[in-house]
Amino acid sequence: MKVELQNLTKIFPSRNKKSGEQVVAVNNFTFAIPDGKLVGLLGPSGCGKSTTLYMISGLQQPTAGKIFFGDEDVTELSPENRGIGLVFQNYALYPHMTVKQNILFPLQNLKGEDKMTKEEMLEAAYHAAKLVQIDELMDRKPSELSGGQQQRVAIARALVKMPRVLLLDEPLSNLDARLRLQTREEIRRIQKETGITTIFVTHDQEEAMSISDVIVVMKLGVVQQIGKPQSVYDDPKNLFVAKFLGTPPINVFDGRVEGGKLWLGEDCVLDVPGVEDKPVHVGIRPEGFVPVDDGALVCKLSNVEVMGRDVSIVSTHAASANPVVRSIVDADYNIKVGAESVAFALKPHKVFLFDKETEERIYFGNQKPSDNVEEN
Amino acid sequence: MAEVLKKVKHGVWDVFCVEWIWKRFCVDNVYKKFDKWKGWLYLSPAIILLLIFTVWPIFNTVRMAFLEDYNSLLANRPGGWEFEVGFGNFAKVVQYGEFTTCLTNTLLLCVLTVPLSTILALIIAVCLNSIKFLSRFIQTIFFLPYVTNSIAIGMVFAAMFSVVGNFDSGLVDTYGIINNVLGWFGADPIDWMGTGSYTIGEFPWPSYVVMVIYIVWNALPFKILILLGGLQSVNKQYYEAAKVDGTSRTRVFTRITVPLLSPMIAYVVITGFIGGFKEYSSIVGVFGDGMGPIGDAGSLNTMVGFIYDALPQQQLGRASAAALILFGIIFIVTMINLAVSKKKTHY
Amino acid sequence: MSENNVNLQAEDIEVKAEARETTEVASPTLNTMAERDMAKITARQKVVKVLVKVALYAFLLTMALIVLFPFYWMLISSVKSLEEYNLAAPTLFPQEFHFDNYTKGFEIAQLDVLFLNTVYVGIVSTALSLVITVISAFAFARLEFKGKNALFAALLATMMIPGELFTITNYQTINNFLGLNSLGRELGSDFLKSIGNWSNTYTVLIIPFLVSVFYIYLLRQNFMQIPNELYLAAKVDGTSDIKYLWKVMIPLALPTIISITILKMMGAWNSYVWPRLVANDDAHKLITNGLRSASFVDEATNMTHYPQQMAAVAIVSLPLFLVFLFLRKYIMKGVSRSGIKG
Repeated sequence: MKVELQNLTKIFPSRNKKSGEQVVAVNNFTFAIPDGKLVGLLGPSGCGKSTTLYMISGLQQPTAGKIFFGDEDVTELSPENRGIGLVFQNYALYPHMTVKQNILFPLQNLKGEDKMTKEEMLEAAYHAAKLVQIDELMDRKPSELSGGQQQRVAIARALVKMPRVLLLDEPLSNLDARLRLQTREEIRRIQKETGITTIFVTHDQEEAMSISDVIVVMKLGVVQQIGKPQSVYDDPKNLFVAKFLGTPPINVFDGRVEGGKLWLGEDCVLDVPGVEDKPVHVGIRPEGFVPVDDGALVCKLSNVEVMGRDVSIVSTHAASANPVVRSIVDADYNIKVGAESVAFALKPHKVFLFDKETEERIYFGNQKPSDNVEEN
Repeated sequence: MAEVLKKVKHGVWDVFCVEWIWKRFCVDNVYKKFDKWKGWLYLSPAIILLLIFTVWPIFNTVRMAFLEDYNSLLANRPGGWEFEVGFGNFAKVVQYGEFTTCLTNTLLLCVLTVPLSTILALIIAVCLNSIKFLSRFIQTIFFLPYVTNSIAIGMVFAAMFSVVGNFDSGLVDTYGIINNVLGWFGADPIDWMGTGSYTIGEFPWPSYVVMVIYIVWNALPFKILILLGGLQSVNKQYYEAAKVDGTSRTRVFTRITVPLLSPMIAYVVITGFIGGFKEYSSIVGVFGDGMGPIGDAGSLNTMVGFIYDALPQQQLGRASAAALILFGIIFIVTMINLAVSKKKTHY
Repeated sequence: MSENNVNLQAEDIEVKAEARETTEVASPTLNTMAERDMAKITARQKVVKVLVKVALYAFLLTMALIVLFPFYWMLISSVKSLEEYNLAAPTLFPQEFHFDNYTKGFEIAQLDVLFLNTVYVGIVSTALSLVITVISAFAFARLEFKGKNALFAALLATMMIPGELFTITNYQTINNFLGLNSLGRELGSDFLKSIGNWSNTYTVLIIPFLVSVFYIYLLRQNFMQIPNELYLAAKVDGTSDIKYLWKVMIPLALPTIISITILKMMGAWNSYVWPRLVANDDAHKLITNGLRSASFVDEATNMTHYPQQMAAVAIVSLPLFLVFLFLRKYIMKGVSRSGIKG
């Protein structure tokens, strides 16, 4: 099922009548989620991603804008009539019911034509349980399950009605690190198997990048960028997106462009043809540094961390906006023992320029904006 | 749309995290569309009943108290009756001879029973808390008086203290079980229930003793339950620390247990006083509607009894004034209690 | 504390062991001396501990006997003959058993009518009260509407006022507006007439005390602990409020609801003042009123027949004891949580 959001906006009135301030949780969000894809809504706390999810679910009414499932306008529909499945962050399993009763619960609410017989309900429940591999646990109570198992029950409960859209609110945040890896593969598998359009919310960029077909990066209620994970990473539209994606995070410098050259402090590091002279934010991905003896960017070396396959060079530079500059280079590279500084050449496609004022991306050379939403 | 957005100040976002927003706005928002009136609809039975039987009485009682000699028979005459406004009811209540008896009885019973039952309950709770074997069983026994009908068991107390026969002439069948038990220790029999001749106006201390014993017996379970609950929630580490320091048992009790338990103690004292000022049915249980020994009816009457006595006489002005006085006393005593406990409690 | 004592002993042993380890190196004689002292101290401590424990149990059991004595006296008196009861030196165990006291007591106090009245009033008022309490608590805990907080605060404020204050006006309301001397009747008000005569009815025993602000408050607190996501999840599945209440909230708050039920039933069983004021005729009399006003004077001797009276008291007390026996957990939890007396 294709999900389309048109100019979706949510404004919360302030409870404080005197100040009369309002809060825009989601601002003018327009996006079409293609059928059968796994979409990650990504952003820091308070970026409106959960609100977006709740509006799609129908638990909240948008202030303005429309929501379409396929060609059907569902903006005014109540949650139960939208055909959605929702998995809550804390799972919201009914503690006094067994796993089976929990999964059966949504089916027992069906009315009219959709009404199912007991046998059909059980069959559907077991089908959903098998899908998430908890059919062995059907008679347990939620309190007797581990976090990961509870998560699966919650997904099974959301899937049992065969929803048109599956919504997951921070599905992995309550799990420990190992389970998280396992569960995100699981979600991916279930999504692939069922082919249900799935939207999930997360603040963890790694999580979003690893399983999503498309990610939507949000900040303060405004969509920053939409695209395939890799292309968003490779081609951030603004400084926020560049900073938000990637571990270790991108290195940001205060730089300036003079006569088609990029200067970081005293170092003239790169040719940036086609950019007018002005101060800029410079983002350089950690893997964009190439240590060479006559490199243009000279940093004071503070530490070298060996991570096996790679080596992480921690250094400082006067123009850096962060306390340290972290670069990741091939383990073959040997730092001279006792060296006080290290010189880098830069890979141009790993260097991003951003406007000082708007923080928007400035393209140079053969960099050009990719619009990858349409590609889907 | 644009106008709406212009009003918005984005700065708020930097301050508040999403959880706050979520709790404050989103959760409620779900219902707003559907449920504007549902809440009031669900509450309507409760609200209607409360308006008739709780809210209206509050206003009406105050109104009646300040209408001179308010009498419901007069008030209900066709065409009604004009009552003057004034403090006459209060003055009459205070001048009424019976009122002084009721007030002193109430105060005296309160002052005697609340400290007695609290201290006894505290000791029992501490003892119960320091044993393991049979602890639950004994605890259950101590709770038994709670699940009784206070009037029914009052009658048992009356039987236990009653002297069958003529006390004054000595032609007595039995002096009753209590007198007999006391007799084993060499005490003379006492006319507890005042069945014999009675000097009216003399302080009826035997019947007071009966009432104090019964009220304390009745009050113990609740106090023990609360205090024991408090003791069990006290962190064991304090006691272990005291033990490491070699603190004696008495010191542990006065310096650790009582201070840590002070909120619970304050609680049982306050509820004890509130309950004590409303003492009524326990006296009915032991002495019957007469609120006193047969020869001296009304000698054990209380404030609440005073109020209820006025009702069948339709003297609602008097009853209301007395009720307001009672409310005032309870309010003041509770405030004093709270002030004291605020100073003395350690949380 | 007994557990702690065990701990203490364990600690003693550890300390002893430690002491031995340290002194062994220094001097062997000191070791034995220290050990002897230690043994003396622990022996003395043990004696003190045993004495304290004996004293504790002696005190508690004595108090327990005193607390139990009225019940015991009630039971043994209820099976004595009047002659035995009136013996100058009372017997602590009946010489012969007169169980007919129970049938006589039952007849004299007309307990059959009283029982039926009280059970009827108790069940109806508890059931209605529960419905009102549950939906009110639900509204306060889960619904959002204008004026909710103000209303809740106002409700809580009424709890401060002693019930006697309400009784006066309620007595007037029942008697003068809805009752025998009905103002409405005299004024010819059709509306007030239609409500009917409330004096001496079951209705008047049930309606005025249906709403307990305290129980609403108690249940609301319990409902609030249930995560809101459960409600949202149910909403997504199209569950109606009533079904959610019935299937999720009530099962989860069941212990509190049971406590409320028991306390409310006990309240009906023990109520005395209000029934005496408004419905004291034979047809509607409740058990406590009936018991108190019944006359157990023996016609032959013109003396109070205490054994029969005690038998009637025992019968009236029995249901409460049975309830307590089976539902002790809920009663004690309910009382300690609600902190209400009587």
